[in-house]
Amino acid sequence: MSRLQGGHIDRNAPLNFSFNGQCYQGYQGDTLASALLANDVQLMGRSFKYHRPRGVFSAGSEEPNAMVELRSGARKEPNTRVTVTELFEGLEAQSQNHIGPLNRDLLAVNDLFAPFFAAGFYYKTFMWPRAFWEKLYEPVIRSAAGLGRLSMEADPDSYDRGFLHCDVLIIGGGAAGLAAALTAARAGAQVLLADEDFQFGGRLSSESHTLDGASASEWVGQTLAELDALPNVKLMTRTTVFGAYDHGVFGAVERVSDHLATPGEGVRQTLWRITAKRTVLAAGATERHIPFANNDRPGIMLAGAMRSYANRWAVSPTRSDADAVAIFANNDDGHLTALDLMAKGVNVLGVIDPREDAPRLGNYDLFAGGVVSGTKGRLGLKSIQITKNGQSQWHDCGALGVSGGWNPNIHLSSHHRGRPVWDESILAFVPGKDGPAGLIPAGAANGQGSTAAALAGGKAAAQEALGDLGLAIRDVVLPEAEDAEIAQAAFWHVPGKGRAWVDFQNDVTVKDIDLAHKENMRPVEHLKRWTTLGMATDQGKTANISALAVMAELTEKSIPETGTTMFRPPYTGVSLGVLGGGDTGSNFRPRRLTPTHHWAAGLGAEFVEVGPWMRAQYFPKDGESHWRETVDREVLAVRSGVGLCDVTTLGKVDVQGADAGEFLNRLYANMIATLPVGKVRYGLMLREDGHAYDDGTCARLAEDHYVVTTTTANAGPVYRNMEFAHQCLWPELDVQMISTTDAWAQVAVAGPNSRALLERIVDDLDLSNEAFPFMGCAELTICGGLRARLFRISFSGELAYELAVPARYGHALMQRLMDLGQDLGVTPYGTETLGVLRIEKGHAAGAELNGQTTPTMLGMDRMVSKKKDSIGAIMSRREGLSENTRRLIGLKPVDPDAPVVAGSHLFAKGAAQDTHSDQGWITSACFSPHLGCHIGLGYLENGDTRLGEIITAANPLEGQEMQLEVVSAHFVDPEGGRLRD
Amino acid sequence: MTDLTPITALGGTSARVQKFGALTISENTELGLASLSLRSGQAAPSPFGLILPDIGRSSAIEGFAAFWTATGQWMIEADGQADRDFAKALKSEAPQCSVTEQTDGFVAFEIESIDGAGPINDVMAKLVNIDPLGFDEGSALRTGLEHMSVFLVRRSAGHIAVIGMRTLADSLWHALSTAAARQNT
Repeated sequence: MSRLQGGHIDRNAPLNFSFNGQCYQGYQGDTLASALLANDVQLMGRSFKYHRPRGVFSAGSEEPNAMVELRSGARKEPNTRVTVTELFEGLEAQSQNHIGPLNRDLLAVNDLFAPFFAAGFYYKTFMWPRAFWEKLYEPVIRSAAGLGRLSMEADPDSYDRGFLHCDVLIIGGGAAGLAAALTAARAGAQVLLADEDFQFGGRLSSESHTLDGASASEWVGQTLAELDALPNVKLMTRTTVFGAYDHGVFGAVERVSDHLATPGEGVRQTLWRITAKRTVLAAGATERHIPFANNDRPGIMLAGAMRSYANRWAVSPTRSDADAVAIFANNDDGHLTALDLMAKGVNVLGVIDPREDAPRLGNYDLFAGGVVSGTKGRLGLKSIQITKNGQSQWHDCGALGVSGGWNPNIHLSSHHRGRPVWDESILAFVPGKDGPAGLIPAGAANGQGSTAAALAGGKAAAQEALGDLGLAIRDVVLPEAEDAEIAQAAFWHVPGKGRAWVDFQNDVTVKDIDLAHKENMRPVEHLKRWTTLGMATDQGKTANISALAVMAELTEKSIPETGTTMFRPPYTGVSLGVLGGGDTGSNFRPRRLTPTHHWAAGLGAEFVEVGPWMRAQYFPKDGESHWRETVDREVLAVRSGVGLCDVTTLGKVDVQGADAGEFLNRLYANMIATLPVGKVRYGLMLREDGHAYDDGTCARLAEDHYVVTTTTANAGPVYRNMEFAHQCLWPELDVQMISTTDAWAQVAVAGPNSRALLERIVDDLDLSNEAFPFMGCAELTICGGLRARLFRISFSGELAYELAVPARYGHALMQRLMDLGQDLGVTPYGTETLGVLRIEKGHAAGAELNGQTTPTMLGMDRMVSKKKDSIGAIMSRREGLSENTRRLIGLKPVDPDAPVVAGSHLFAKGAAQDTHSDQGWITSACFSPHLGCHIGLGYLENGDTRLGEIITAANPLEGQEMQLEVVSAHFVDPEGGRLRD
Repeated sequence: MTDLTPITALGGTSARVQKFGALTISENTELGLASLSLRSGQAAPSPFGLILPDIGRSSAIEGFAAFWTATGQWMIEADGQADRDFAKALKSEAPQCSVTEQTDGFVAFEIESIDGAGPINDVMAKLVNIDPLGFDEGSALRTGLEHMSVFLVRRSAGHIAVIGMRTLADSLWHALSTAAARQNT
């Protein structure tokens, strides 16, 4: 065990876990990374491309190397960073991306072929033979691609989502974040403090610095206790704010139970949308490394991470207490690692610093002007080569801490195309001024690296936010803290012949960047895509700046001239499960159930999704083995007896007001204002461009009261357009409207026996043809006083009505009609039968009104009234539309047994089949039990003058071709006698 | 009186009521609803003595309530009048206005807390993108809730009504009950 003294772990709470089947023990407060290191496990995985042995490199969410498959079974989670995985009892982890044991990975052979896998290799290879791509190259690449493996089982966990609002959102709970939270909270602002770690403190937990002469954890504890007691503060650990979005909205994931073996009854993660008036970005900084030859061995890690493991988790980075630790740093901060390790009793080889004038901050060997130029150790670091003044010497060494300076975590300030600004004094990019509105960077994220500067920066940022919000600022006394100036050199990599890794996760080396430069992939966006640098799951957090510094050196440009790639959310990976919001199966999206849904379900109806609606598709009876059998029966029953269909889904808009008639005249292409009270009229609405938009009926219940019906699909859009027309085009009209689609259960009662059936339930309305003719409507009562509306309209071509009752009575009404209509042959029918009936009658529906249809094509050009203006009327008369020769026609197969396939295109018999000779298409098709053959509707050039002609319907893509006769679209009762008598 | 038997929006014969810790969600099947819209140039009436509220607000008197829904438009609520022709009664109170029956256009779920505003605010945070602290007693608005459009009325600190489309009642119940149940896990 490599445990040291101290640390923020609970040694009274041991936890058992396993890695690659081997059992280990850690403590509450450990991450999987710290627990593995404490158990002397340095080798944790294999690299992506070359399968190089890799160990933990960082102590935070930026980790590029140490990723595992966490848990097992359906909860197996690949590519999980051990550095952010909290240890829990029974944790299981497996290393990934290797064949055979981790220490003898067969795919390590890839490393021998490294010259073939240089940057952009897959853009240059696999070109020939062409046939090999699908059969060989792609399968091999796909099987080799990726790191961990999915379980391929359904995710058993629940995910949640929610919304939070605050005056000040503080991202990051380190020194700056805590100071900001204290300042804003004491002023009375609604404060939300979020941190991705499972405890607040940030780098304060990792450093040995004191605050007011005491341990930093004391101040952190006091501050948190005060914040926690305030009602205006919400503290959220395990919460990553991953993106800045429009209007001060931030996306965040709270890992509610990732730290537990299973979530139990709770949720796994919650997706929060946070609306903040002001935001303090106190996300800290990420250390960068210095590429040198073979710098990727297990045991080599960031110097700051090494400090975290020693101070927070009481872990030495070496496998043996006898092993020495070396530090390679181009700045003063790296030297602090040596001091902290020495204070913990770790054997320190020394500090290698390329600066000739590097300071010696303690009693350690200093290799000023030296560099690390090579390493040895197949599965873990054994020795390093130190080169100084041209002389190289190998030194035994069990771990190496590397520090190339710190990069402020500017990611969120760079969303919304915010461009970071280079600060030469700290050799790093800091947030620019053009980032997300209302976002104020503070602390290390703003380049304020010392503890004192971070505390002061957090306080100042909060005060700025409070000032913006007009809240009184109360002074906050900050603790005394270190304020050392950190000197550093602009030393970006150690030149040499060996491979020096820049991006560990995607195996990108300095040589790859050099190659990209030679191949003219010099702009950073090209460099990124050519080499894949920064494109792995870690998004190159430890690599990007080093890479562009190398490219800047090659191009002899400055780093700011070279620039950064674009920053986009998410800051770290977000699971698809939590983005999906959690609901699956039948609750995946809201479902609208008709008022007779439960009645239909009780009859065993099959349902179909129609937009958000669940509609009864057909009602199979015992003994019917095929849906066609059911539908044929339902169709014939309607035409011979009476059928019932729930048509509640059609949109209903209640329109009232003195100008209601004039308003509808302007909306509908045909005349509506002249409609008598107690009558219904078919209406056609056009789009502004003159194409058909929607159709339906309009009933006039009183002089100033209409009910407009729309198609199911357009119920929402038509109502929206009506509101737009009233509010924006004609606000002067006295019109009031409101949707009543859900308020009324509407049932179609269709068939020759429909009148007889309705007569059995109406209270006192004469339904005779004379008293209540076709296209009549009335408000009435049924079944002993239930208020209702009756419309004599027909979609089927039969004598038919639509009866509306308050929705709560729809179920009982349907049952009553079924009970009373048995002797009349009453039959429930669904949308399939509805479709067959309307095709047989030649009524247009969604397939005919597909957005390309003109009134002329529908044969309705004369409906577009010239006595008034209406939306789209003038545009419908423009040349391109009015001269369209396609007309709605019916189609019957020459061979009665042949199918008619919707979507097929129409050609003159014997003509070539190409776009030039295309004469139209089949819009709808079905089997007509009435005619005993398939039939279709379609648009055909000059179709109205070609009745009787035999044409060809073809589907060249499928090689289908059939001969069809052009007939009237009205297959049933073309004179319309049935519906009028 | 009709001999047909109505069902609730959730398809039952009686209102669904379920407790979730400090919260109880009740399907309010007795609530009569009708919309009232002013005609051009008309002053706001006071049906049943109600003072019609301003934008984003609701008002209530014994047996009746109103909430603002659009410019010159309110939804009027009547306790226990779901099975009467409430639109007719409202029209007689405001004969110059446009009145539309809405009782069965909506389903009303009353969410009540026995522990004050806290549980209501917490469940709101899981359901709607509205700041619960700014949505105090008497507030009312229309917003999205899991892709559904709903009215929210804060009847008191510990009581909120969620009024959604009747045909979406099952999905709305699922959303509300899931959020309420998760408060206790």
